[in-house]
Amino acid sequence: MQQRGELRVWWRDRVGTSVLLTAALLAACNGNIGNNGGGSGGTTGGAVAYGPTGLHRLSRIEYDNTLADLLGDNTRPGFASLPEDVNDPFDNDFSTQQVSGALIAAAETLAAGASARLLADTARRSALLGCTPSGAGDTACLETFVRAFGRRAFRRPLTDEEASGYVGLSAFAVEANDFYVGVDLVLRAFLQDPNFLYRVETGTPVAGKAGLYALGDYEIGTRLSYFLWGSTPSDHLLDMAAAGALSSDAGRRAAAAELLADPRGAARIKQFHAFWLAYDQLPVTADMASALRAETDALVARVVFERRGDYFDLFNANETFVNDTLATHYGLPAPGSTTGAWVPYGSSPRRGILSHGTLLAAGAKFDDTSPTLRGVFVRNRLLCQTIPPPPPTVAVDEPPPATGSPCKVDRYAAHRAGNCAGCHNQTDPIGFGLENYDRTGAYRAAERDNPQCTISGDGEVAGLGTFNGPAELATLITGSGGMESCVVMQLYRMALGRRESAGDMSTLSKLTDGFKQGGRAFDKLLVDVVADPAFIHRQLEP
Amino acid sequence: MAKRFTRRAMLRGAGGAAITLPALEIMFDRHRKSYAQAMTIPKRYVVCFGGQSLGGDGDSLHNDYVPNTVGANYDLKSALAPLAPVQADVSVVSGISIPTANGGTVPAGGRRDDFHVSSLSPLLSGVRSPSNTASAGPTSDQIVATAIAGNTPFKSLVYRVQVEWYLSVSAPYGRETISYKANPSGGNPLAIQPVVSPKMAFDALFNNFTPPNDAAAAARQDFLLRSRKSVLDLVGANLQKLTTNPKLGTADQQRLSRHFDEIRDLEHQISSVPPPTTATCQKLPDPGADSLPGGNQGVDGAGNNTYTTNLGYSGEEQRAKVFCDLVHMALTCDLTRVASLMFTMFQSHMNVFALTGQKCDLHELGHNGDPASKGTLAVSKMIAWHMKHFAYLIGKLRDTPEGGGSLLDNVALVFLHEGGHGLDTATGEKNSTHSTENMAALIAGRAGGLKGGLHVAATGKHPANILITAMNAVGVSSTTLGDVTGAIPSLLG
Repeated sequence: MQQRGELRVWWRDRVGTSVLLTAALLAACNGNIGNNGGGSGGTTGGAVAYGPTGLHRLSRIEYDNTLADLLGDNTRPGFASLPEDVNDPFDNDFSTQQVSGALIAAAETLAAGASARLLADTARRSALLGCTPSGAGDTACLETFVRAFGRRAFRRPLTDEEASGYVGLSAFAVEANDFYVGVDLVLRAFLQDPNFLYRVETGTPVAGKAGLYALGDYEIGTRLSYFLWGSTPSDHLLDMAAAGALSSDAGRRAAAAELLADPRGAARIKQFHAFWLAYDQLPVTADMASALRAETDALVARVVFERRGDYFDLFNANETFVNDTLATHYGLPAPGSTTGAWVPYGSSPRRGILSHGTLLAAGAKFDDTSPTLRGVFVRNRLLCQTIPPPPPTVAVDEPPPATGSPCKVDRYAAHRAGNCAGCHNQTDPIGFGLENYDRTGAYRAAERDNPQCTISGDGEVAGLGTFNGPAELATLITGSGGMESCVVMQLYRMALGRRESAGDMSTLSKLTDGFKQGGRAFDKLLVDVVADPAFIHRQLEP
Repeated sequence: MAKRFTRRAMLRGAGGAAITLPALEIMFDRHRKSYAQAMTIPKRYVVCFGGQSLGGDGDSLHNDYVPNTVGANYDLKSALAPLAPVQADVSVVSGISIPTANGGTVPAGGRRDDFHVSSLSPLLSGVRSPSNTASAGPTSDQIVATAIAGNTPFKSLVYRVQVEWYLSVSAPYGRETISYKANPSGGNPLAIQPVVSPKMAFDALFNNFTPPNDAAAAARQDFLLRSRKSVLDLVGANLQKLTTNPKLGTADQQRLSRHFDEIRDLEHQISSVPPPTTATCQKLPDPGADSLPGGNQGVDGAGNNTYTTNLGYSGEEQRAKVFCDLVHMALTCDLTRVASLMFTMFQSHMNVFALTGQKCDLHELGHNGDPASKGTLAVSKMIAWHMKHFAYLIGKLRDTPEGGGSLLDNVALVFLHEGGHGLDTATGEKNSTHSTENMAALIAGRAGGLKGGLHVAATGKHPANILITAMNAVGVSSTTLGDVTGAIPSLLG
């Protein structure tokens, strides 16, 4: 398994193998000073139908969601115990996952803990068991439990061989004269099993296409559920799989609509945005993090689930959901609520998600905002344009020095000289257009450490136009014609748990066209992704 | 009266009476001759690592670490001051360096010019840096483990004190571990993710320790272990089935094989006969639940950096101590013979305020990140924090009787730092932390005749020469590590 490493460690986003859709725009910026050869990204072509995929292990969040749904255990123990995922930007890219002794030890400890908590809770225990044991050696009751729980844990029915292996643990129950010892061991065995920890996909080979497999219904159900809930399929979804209802796109559309109608669907889409736009772990104190997250979650929910209109309302919204503290922080009138209410932006120059502290927190450096990194964030995350890292000759661990005026706009001017200009003209002017907003989204008219340096907030997206402030930036990028394909690409990455490659380009084009022609309805896009044949096939890695 | 030495007899017969002699004492008769055939005291090997270089940017003083005196009775400067109680058992090696590409190709044992990405591989494996951030060769601890682990329950321990990467919109991509092992399927070595949880590390080491003089507890313990093993057997069987499923591609089968190997290692650990409780080998007190992760370093609502609120810190002070205790006891009980202990990551973004009162992260410390605490002496404070824990570990090893001497007599430890200080060949800046000129490292313990208490000025040598020295001291006779050849003779008897 090849680990994709980055070339410069302070570089915030992986320079991966993503194919640039707007490569021409950045032709002057290829990371090689004085070298106009070669773009970036792109993979080998070839006659593959889709990009290759490998086994996905449950990420920490998926593990905890799964535990909650399987056992009613809401303690979320996996996040602290399992090894950290690589958020790149999503937590579920199979190519970044590694096995380790630390993983196995954590899986065992977590399984034992979850089982112990369940057995101590007699209500949950009897609900899960589904039968009343007649004695320590009641293998019939144990088998009932094994098959019912196993179907949920493995996300498919158990084979007889598998079931009898688990029922065999009854010997320990007999030895201890306690039926529930058997239940404990069965639970622990399931929760450490590869069929639980990994989403195993085999499927059936597609004739004439080397390495291409069509997934079975249970595998499709698993993909559906982990995409739209980040959790294990419900009994109802498993039943749909059993009935063979998921291999048709109509069946998947129906299933997806149900999943999205559940609160878990809304939570999952909020989490998608948090990973995509880098606010899943905000570098701020806990109170501020929770208020900022609530603000952006509310807007996402409103756009995607309530209004179901043009997705770009996310960027153009003229209201935001804030409590009194956050409203004051932003210079907005306080709504008289500690939990939060919708407050109009009114005459404030803020509009949409680019005005939120969540997004404005990205690209911080040297205790302040970095216009360069903010520009990279916009290019990379919102326009899916790869900005290569600077050459090794640049001392990026030092702030750009003052050569006369200490003002940031003058210090950063050095970036736009000579060979550096090619890339920095793509990034810095974007950041400077947001400079009136500090790294928690508060407005400032001048630099905090140099109050004589007024901040104009004038910026530019090279190739698109000038702007001042987040509202105008939103107008520029949403109107560019390039954002729809980026939104689709990012969603596709999370849906399939991998980066796109050459084999995915026609699928992505199709989905992008559908998104544009469908009024940019995000809920429709979600369903189109699962209805697409790409969603029910897997291509072997070479 | 002859002592019958069989571990099983001790555990399962005669009411499991505790032996009060040091564990390995019973291997020797009164005349200090080896009692059981071919039973000798095993050697142990420990590699420690601290992120950050030895000096601060722009400071003409490269470090406050390298003694002025060469040879014995070296002077302790501020970075190494905490070594005072164990100085006789620690040698300082100065003058080492890792060469750079310097605009050309990467030399043998060398690194690319961009500092943060590139020192890992040559520092730990002696192999020149590859194009990514991983190690291009297996690290010395894993090579030694393969050679000397024997049948110990844990082939090696891989621990890390720093809990998380601590930086938003970013990921470590290999900077989070110092242990890489050879890939059984060939190709690049595999990174070993360290255990970061002191509680899990404790449980793994001591879960099957038998409480002395308590037959009921011993019976319970035995039941738990057997049932645990049966659970793992089932997991392993299902893994085996998957690894041989022809519909899964080679890559997936290899992933599952790796998983299966780890399950097998875990089964080996829990099936191993636990060591008897003795005067020196004892189950440590349970460290309790881990301290909570501190979240990414950041700012408060006023936009001020929150070093004082401990974002970017998760109680690493206490975690360091617990990990040192665990390494010490694991070696004492022969649960393992090899350990790697990564205190802080490469380019560590751990907030150091709680440790030294400096308001920045460890990486920024070298870049004068705290205006009130800049330069080489400032950086030395955090080196001293690492040294405090290193000295603590060495002291415990020294104070543990073993085989007529001390456990430390049979251990070789190396402490490596991320960089040196001097010319940054990427930018041309002098007196930079982004440099592997003017490096220094520590070697401790007495295994194989290692001499402590010396300052060796090993001008022109490479950090891997020290690792080779330590490897030789524990009986791994290789003259090379990666691209680098030769030990440092003045360190060995």
